[in-house]
Amino acid sequence: MAWPRFPFGKAADTEADRAARDAALKRSADWEQALAHDRLPSFVEARLGEARAGQTPWTSTMTPAELLLAVTRGIRPVATVTGTCWYQYGRSWTEGHAAGWRSALHRLRAEAVACGANAVVDVKMRTVQGGFGASMDFTLIGTAIKVQGLAASNDPIIATAPLMDFVRLLQAGIVPVGLAVGAQYEWLIDQSKAYSGSWTWNNQELATLSRFWEQLRRAAYRELKADTARQGNGVLAHTQLSQLIKQEGSDKGPDRYLGRHIVLGTVVLSGESSPIPRGIETVVDMCDGPSPLDTHAADGSNIYGLNEREGAL
Amino acid sequence: MSIVNTIPQHALERLKGLRSENNPKGVFTSDFSVNEFLLVRKAGFEPVGLCVGSCIFHVGIQYGSWSKNQEMTVLSQAMYQARESAMSRMREEAADMGADGVVGVRLEVKRLEWDANILEFVAIGTGVVHAKGHTTFKGPNGQPFTSDLSGQDFWTLLHAGYRPLEMVMGSCVYHVAHRGMLQSLGSVGQNVELTNFSQALYDAREIAMERMQQEAADAKAEGVVGVNLHEGSHNWQPHVIEFFAVGTAVVPISTELDASTIPDPQLVLSVNT
Repeated sequence: MAWPRFPFGKAADTEADRAARDAALKRSADWEQALAHDRLPSFVEARLGEARAGQTPWTSTMTPAELLLAVTRGIRPVATVTGTCWYQYGRSWTEGHAAGWRSALHRLRAEAVACGANAVVDVKMRTVQGGFGASMDFTLIGTAIKVQGLAASNDPIIATAPLMDFVRLLQAGIVPVGLAVGAQYEWLIDQSKAYSGSWTWNNQELATLSRFWEQLRRAAYRELKADTARQGNGVLAHTQLSQLIKQEGSDKGPDRYLGRHIVLGTVVLSGESSPIPRGIETVVDMCDGPSPLDTHAADGSNIYGLNEREGAL
Repeated sequence: MSIVNTIPQHALERLKGLRSENNPKGVFTSDFSVNEFLLVRKAGFEPVGLCVGSCIFHVGIQYGSWSKNQEMTVLSQAMYQARESAMSRMREEAADMGADGVVGVRLEVKRLEWDANILEFVAIGTGVVHAKGHTTFKGPNGQPFTSDLSGQDFWTLLHAGYRPLEMVMGSCVYHVAHRGMLQSLGSVGQNVELTNFSQALYDAREIAMERMQQEAADAKAEGVVGVNLHEGSHNWQPHVIEFFAVGTAVVPISTELDASTIPDPQLVLSVNT
C-alpha cells in the first residue's frame, strides 16, 4: 500500500511532498465545501458511485447469518455508510442532542442515496469517548442495501434494526422506515427548598417533583409521537435516557432541578398484519454470547448506557 | 520478515503431526467453544492448532500542528505495519501447520505498562484444515485464509455460498484541530455544529474505509462482511484519534452456485424471555 507522505519538518520538501500537501489541502477544501453546502465531497461521491456500480467490493456490517438471509431474499449489501456531526450544546444539552442526531441522520441518508440504496439497516449510534467541553460527536454507521427489482430511492429507508430483524419485520408485513427522536428538558426552580421533602419524616408524595417529571416525560413522548407521525404509523423506542439532577442552592439562592428525557426509536409502517404461524418447534441455538433469539441481546444503539432497563420494571 | 527459519526442526515436525485426519495420533489445540467446534466439524473442517503472531512495536513520535486537521502518517503507518506483522506471523505459523486457514482470529492491541510508546499487537486464531483435503479454500496467493469470524459464522458463511479470503483492514490516525480562542468565544453558550471537528472525524473514517476497501479489491474479494469500525486513542495526546476498519473479505465459493440452490434459512420467533 502506498502511504501519502506529509512534510512535518522543514527538511526535504520534495516534489512528492508538495504534491501530497496539495492533495491534502484540496481534500480538506472539498470537505469544507461539502459540509457548508450540505452535500458529499467529490471523492466520497466517487467511492460510493463505484460501490453502486459494483466495481469495488461491497463492505457490510452484516454477519454471515445475515448475509445468508440477504442472499436468499434478493438483498445485496452495497456499502458501509456513515453520518457525523460534531455539535456543541452550549445553550441546551437536550436540544443539542436532538439536533446532532438529526443532522447525522441527514448525512447518512445522503450517502445512502449516493450508493443507490433502497435502505440502510443496522444503523448504530456511536460517539468518540471524551468529547471536548460541551460538545460531542454524533455518528451513525449502517449498511446500505439494495433490494432486487426495486429502483434506487431518493429517500431510502433508515432502520436501526439489523438485517435479521429487518427481514423478520418485512415478513410480518411491517416496514421499518426511519428513526424518530423525542427530546425534552426543563429547569425547575425551588425557592422554598421544600420539593425534596427534607422537612418531613412521613410517607408523602413529592407532588411538585412528580408533576414536573411526569409532564416532562409526556412532552418527550409527544415529540416522539409527532416525529413518528411524519414518517410512519408506529415506533419501537429502544433507547431512552432520563435524568433528574438537583443543584443545591446557596444560602440565599433557590435549589434548581434539571430534568431531561430523550427517547429514540425505529419508526415502523405496519399494514394489514399477516398471521404468524403458531406451531411451536424446539430449536437449538448454537450461538455463543448474546443470541439474536434473545430479545434482551444488546441493541448496540444505546450510547448513553444509562437507564437501559427503564420501563422494564 | 520471515521467522520460519528460526523455528527448530523438531517443532516443525510436531506441528505437522497435528493434522488429525492424516495422523490420528495428533493432538489439536484450539480456543473453540463446544458449539464452535461442532459447527467447524459440520462445515467439513478439522482444527489443527492455535496460531499466534505477535509484534511489539515502538510507535514513533509525531506532533500534529495545533490548529490543523491532518493525518498523522507516522502513527498510521506504525499502527498498520505492527498489525500486519502480527497477522502475517500468525499466517506463517498456520502455513507451517499445513492449515488451510485460520478462523476466529482475535486481533488485539495491548499497552505495556513501562512505556506509553510501546504497544503489543497480537493475533490469535485456530488453524483449520479441510478434512477431505480440498485445496480450494486457501486465501490469496495460496496462503492460508484468515478470518475474524467465529466457528458458527464460518459455517454460516460457507452455507451462504461464500468462503473467507483474508482479514482486511485500514488504519488512519488523525489529529483533530484545536479551535482558536476567538472561534471558541464566538460560540459560547450556543447550539452550533463544530464543523472542523465533524470534518476531521468524517475524513479519518473515510480514509480508514478507503484503505480497507482497497485491500479487499487487491485480494479480489467480492465483498467484506462483519465490518467493524473502531475508534481508539492509544494513550496519545488528546485530539489524536485512530480509526481502524476491519472485516473479512469473502468470495463466492463457485460462480455457478445459484442463490436458489442455497437452502432457505428459517426465521424463528423466540418464546424465551
